[in-house]
Amino acid sequence: MDDRELIGRVLAGDPRAERELYEAHVDRVFRLSCRISGDPHRAQDYTQETFIRAFRRLADFRGESALSTWLCAITVSVTLNGLRSQRRARDREVGLDEAPALGTRTVEADPDLKTRMTAAIDGLPQGYRTVFVMHDVEGYTHEEIATALGVQPGTSKAQLFRARAKLRTALADFARD
Amino acid sequence: MDDHLHDGHDDAPGDLPDEPLEPSLLAAAREYHRPPEPPREAMWRAIQAERRAERAIRPGPRRWVPWAAAAAALLAVGVGIGRLTQPDPVTDHAPVASWGPSAAAPRVNEAAYRLTTLEHLGQSEAFLTLFRASVRTGGQERLASATARQLLATNRLLLDSPAATDRKTRVLLEDLELVLAEIAQLAADAQPDDRALIREAMDRGGMLSRLRTEVPAGTTLTRGEL
Repeated sequence: MDDRELIGRVLAGDPRAERELYEAHVDRVFRLSCRISGDPHRAQDYTQETFIRAFRRLADFRGESALSTWLCAITVSVTLNGLRSQRRARDREVGLDEAPALGTRTVEADPDLKTRMTAAIDGLPQGYRTVFVMHDVEGYTHEEIATALGVQPGTSKAQLFRARAKLRTALADFARD
Repeated sequence: MDDHLHDGHDDAPGDLPDEPLEPSLLAAAREYHRPPEPPREAMWRAIQAERRAERAIRPGPRRWVPWAAAAAALLAVGVGIGRLTQPDPVTDHAPVASWGPSAAAPRVNEAAYRLTTLEHLGQSEAFLTLFRASVRTGGQERLASATARQLLATNRLLLDSPAATDRKTRVLLEDLELVLAEIAQLAADAQPDDRALIREAMDRGGMLSRLRTEVPAGTTLTRGEL
């Protein structure tokens, strides 16, 4: 069933269609929210809020993008706004100045690449981090990211380029291996 | 979105080298905040509960209407309480001086008490449903607080009534009193967290589901009219 038909059934009040729409997209929404927020419990709240908003606004969906991309836009908005309101995003940002410092440590001193990568990604500015997580971690295309974030695809590419550069610098000792 | 996305300098001036991260770095990146299995059923239940609450208030430009309707319906409860406590004409004409214990004992009309309690619980359920739905948007704290105060007064009258003998109903009224007291204290400039805390307290105690269990469908004046 295509998006248009499913949406039509939801708008007509078919509860099974609501469930179908939810089942078709919930995993992707939850994954993205979890990746961005870093907190599965909050991601659960954000996922619920995403679908509540989506069902509320479904009549406004014009089909200019795929339903999944539209949901992705709501997910990012809900998650980032949620993080902002909790002031957690600011706490998580270690600061750009600190990110290169992380990379100057020796491998022996901090051998856990996963931990170092997590810290380095957390240290990225929010815009860079969002694009990097969406593209390199979750596999969204630049076009999807651009639609979701309301920017040009070129901006998404530039953000990704800069994010990767910062991560390479932060993890230079690992990159050489 | 934040400044880093809207900064015009970030727009790619031309083709940027699109070099993927080295495989080891990319593999580590894909472990970043790896999500667990989504709690699909729990989330679906929460979404459906919220949707039901939204349908109950039918948001529109005159968002004060449901609140006003709930507050106005309280008058009906007040009338019920008034009737419950109205002096009996027979005892009104009885001699003032009486030494018998029966003259001092309050008359208890259990059927009227039960009806009034059900009406009050129904109003409270409607009010808490509206309040719960408004938690995310806020902006109606003053009216919510005023309505909660009126419900609280009725709640206390019912709790103090000599007819309040049913233990289960008493416990429900006592728990309801705590929730209403919290909402009554809500300041006009309450933060979203304040409202969310009350909502969490309601959810933890299962207040709405207990009220819905207690109140037969169609009891409340506002049900189906909002």
